[in-house]
Amino acid sequence: MASSDHTHHDGESYFDGPPGILAKVWQWMSTVDHKKIGVMYLVAVLFMFFLGGVSALAVRYELLDPVRTVETINEAGEIIQYTSGQRLAGLTNIMGAQNANEVYNRIFTLHGAIMVFMFIIPSIPASLGNFFLPIMLGAKDVAFPRLNLLSWYIYVIGCLFGVFSILLGGVDTGWTFYTPYSTTTDADHWRVILMILAAFILGFSSILTGMNFVVTVHKLRAPGMGWFDMPLFIWGIYATAVIQVLATPVIGITLLLLVFERVMNIGIFDPSMGGDPVLYQHFFWFYSHPVVYVMILPGMGIISEIIAVHSRKHIFGYRAIAFSSLGIAGVSFLVWGHHIFTAMGELAAVLFSGLTFLVAIPTAIKVFNWIATLYKGSIALNTPMLYALIFLFTFSIGGLTGLPLATLATDLHLHDTYYVVAHFHYTMMGGTVMAFMGGLHHWWPKMFGKMYSEKGAMTGTILVFIGFNLTFFTQFFLGTQGMPRRYANYVDEFQTLHIISSAGSLVLLLGFLVHLGTFIVSLIAGDKAPPNPWGGLTLEWETESPPIEHNFHHEPVVTHGPYDYETTVPPHWDPKDFPLPKNPSSH
Amino acid sequence: MSTPTLASANMSFFQKIIFGDHAGSEAGAWSDGLFMMITWFSIVCFVILMGLMVFWVIKYRRRPGVPAQPSPNHNIHLEILWTVVPSASMLVMFVLGVRGYAMKMVAPDAAMELKVDAWKWAWKVTYPNGAISPEVKFLSFKNNMAALEAGSTEPWMETKGLEYPVFYVPENTAVSLRMNSQDVIHSFWIPEFRTKMDVIPNRYTGYAFHTPKLRDSDMVLDTSSMMQIPGRDMWIFCAEYCGDEHSRMAATLRIVPQKTYDAKIKEWGTPKDPIVLGKSLFNTMCKICHSADGTPSTGPTWASGNGFGFGYEAALANGSSAMRDDNYIRESILDPNAKIVTGYVPSMPSFQGQLNEDEIHGLIMYMQSLSDRNPNAGQTGKENQQADDSAGSDG
Repeated sequence: MASSDHTHHDGESYFDGPPGILAKVWQWMSTVDHKKIGVMYLVAVLFMFFLGGVSALAVRYELLDPVRTVETINEAGEIIQYTSGQRLAGLTNIMGAQNANEVYNRIFTLHGAIMVFMFIIPSIPASLGNFFLPIMLGAKDVAFPRLNLLSWYIYVIGCLFGVFSILLGGVDTGWTFYTPYSTTTDADHWRVILMILAAFILGFSSILTGMNFVVTVHKLRAPGMGWFDMPLFIWGIYATAVIQVLATPVIGITLLLLVFERVMNIGIFDPSMGGDPVLYQHFFWFYSHPVVYVMILPGMGIISEIIAVHSRKHIFGYRAIAFSSLGIAGVSFLVWGHHIFTAMGELAAVLFSGLTFLVAIPTAIKVFNWIATLYKGSIALNTPMLYALIFLFTFSIGGLTGLPLATLATDLHLHDTYYVVAHFHYTMMGGTVMAFMGGLHHWWPKMFGKMYSEKGAMTGTILVFIGFNLTFFTQFFLGTQGMPRRYANYVDEFQTLHIISSAGSLVLLLGFLVHLGTFIVSLIAGDKAPPNPWGGLTLEWETESPPIEHNFHHEPVVTHGPYDYETTVPPHWDPKDFPLPKNPSSH
Repeated sequence: MSTPTLASANMSFFQKIIFGDHAGSEAGAWSDGLFMMITWFSIVCFVILMGLMVFWVIKYRRRPGVPAQPSPNHNIHLEILWTVVPSASMLVMFVLGVRGYAMKMVAPDAAMELKVDAWKWAWKVTYPNGAISPEVKFLSFKNNMAALEAGSTEPWMETKGLEYPVFYVPENTAVSLRMNSQDVIHSFWIPEFRTKMDVIPNRYTGYAFHTPKLRDSDMVLDTSSMMQIPGRDMWIFCAEYCGDEHSRMAATLRIVPQKTYDAKIKEWGTPKDPIVLGKSLFNTMCKICHSADGTPSTGPTWASGNGFGFGYEAALANGSSAMRDDNYIRESILDPNAKIVTGYVPSMPSFQGQLNEDEIHGLIMYMQSLSDRNPNAGQTGKENQQADDSAGSDG
């Protein structure tokens, strides 16, 4: 190795640190190692996932029954009225809310804001992306390691603003901060501004990470690795990074305008001061629609990796998948209007409907390619692969149920209903979270050098699958039958479906707890992981588990494609264990 | 309106599971048909994809020592096929979607125009003759009546819920809406017509629908006469999040025969006792935030006692106090944030231009009727110059 710092030597894993707890903490907090930063992101992001999950459970708890005011006669013979079903009413005083409904509104806002800004946007790129992007490129680190650490600190500061706002009582604007509601609600309170600033600050973290990744991909690929020799996970992260850099400044400016309007009464969005409330929605979705693809593209990248490795096949249509990632990133900037079909003119609605269908095509192509990759493979049905198959199942439902939302006539009915809630949970949770869980199981042995119990992980996976579908499939029917979003109270006929949905959320919780337990047991008592447990061909499998400080002992030279399973024996494996096909195809 | 081509006259079992009931309009039935078409297309795609996936996962499951078999890793013909077929299918959906959109949005020339006003958290509909509906309906009133008629007297339990305004429209009529919000963005959704549009401050939005013909079985309870009359009730929900009582911002759209409708709006359009007018306005517009019986709510109660009510001093948030007299009420309606009662937050929108002079007078008279005091009694030279003269000009 050309360089090595004084505390680390070749052969030492990246998390072997100096003795002493304080020294260790300082080493982590001041590290510029992309792997440590990736693990720090992983911990922070999973903590936010936990907070968001708790608020989701609170939402499902409140929705167990509709709010009913009942008139009856008590034992003394007097007519009394009482209200039942306000299950979160006990939090009214703690949160300083006016009434039970406001408590509910704050909690669903927390769920949305935490899950979107603090969990799902940074989830895959900042944790798994940070850890694996340089290794898969054959680099020692990202292009700007210090910037990388800075973006983690900015992320944490942003989260602290959000958590602080929650501790002060939370906000009831919805995660979308639609004006003029967001500029007028709780007018004398600073928590709304704190929450907006949280999203604003988190944007900087996102921009810095994105910029870092773009430069890393352009400049730090190993010798021999052309653009089309890159693993598809890198393509996904790259397309994501481009969107992050281009779109995030728009939300930054928009949120800042929102703060100006609240604090200084400058009429930008509020019509009572001469502003235009729908303008805010255009600004907001101009960022937030491309960000939907920030959430899903890295997940798609993970699925490409998992399916190829665990079925030992060259990914079908490599270039189609790579270009469709870029295509999705490009078209995603042109479809923001489909979030506001009910607030725009007829011509704009027709245009945006057409463009929205356009973005569906590259997504469909990817799904076809993944399924075609399975053909004639040698498919190992382990936890990462099971998650990839679950992804194909749930994400296909998410994608297909988007069609009636892109179709104008049907969207007028379905817009702002539980149908939309179900649809985007099938894409975001059924897509991104399933891919994240799959990726975490796929790369866990590499990241921490420990194997996990396959039985435990499988149990968790099956519970998550059942719980997820129970929770969200019912919500499609709630939506088509007339249940609006963001309702604390509802009419009686929706109760059965709501109960099923809430029961599903408990199964989902159980599944994630099983996963948590499996991971903790693995860290404490797991078997030592071999360098290449799945027989992968991408560069992360050439180095040790866990990787050494500088990733590789020698700078790797790329001599085969990332998916050439038909012609290459995986590193660290005997040809007997992974026999090559007899007649490798010409491609 | 064009004839529906996709909607089937009889709902399939599957469609019933999805939508619960028939759409209330031709345009709604047409878009349900389109939804079913897309759904069947999706089911076929999904079954093919998942079928192949499961079949291959089982057939090509890993066996020790058996390698993957070689196969091409791309195929240009296949890839073109699976790009073109979805694109063509989506083009069809797009075109049909635009057509159905036009059916829901474009009003025929002869459509009856209703003015819809929205605020946190209620709806108001103004009829072509200037009348507004004073009627309200309990969430599940009909069920209670059925239970009482069935002889369930002791011990009884009645679901009361909230009262929602009832808006009347004649059957088999084209209706177009002109909508405007006084504060934040709302959305006027009639699920049975399968359509909604946002209601935005400082801008008109709208859509159109053709009300259905009533079926023989369509009967509703007329709360003004307590009689069963021919009619059909539909929910109206606010679909755009608007704050605390968003989920209670509902109303009922009642389809009735033309002659019932004509009689109703004629009755509401004629001048009436100001207290009766004030009470009906209170029931349809104010009750979501104010109570008439002292129950705590989002806004101060109108019942007298405990520092509330007409003729009682209001303790204000800025430490001062004000007498609740006629000018105080007028100001509170037209400029609600001028004086905030202590313990409450400014959340009421201004009704400047929304209520005419008679209606404001009616509200004051109704509030006065709830109180045992009258601070204006015996006064001669009233200081009414402080009231805003430009407000509420009679329409």
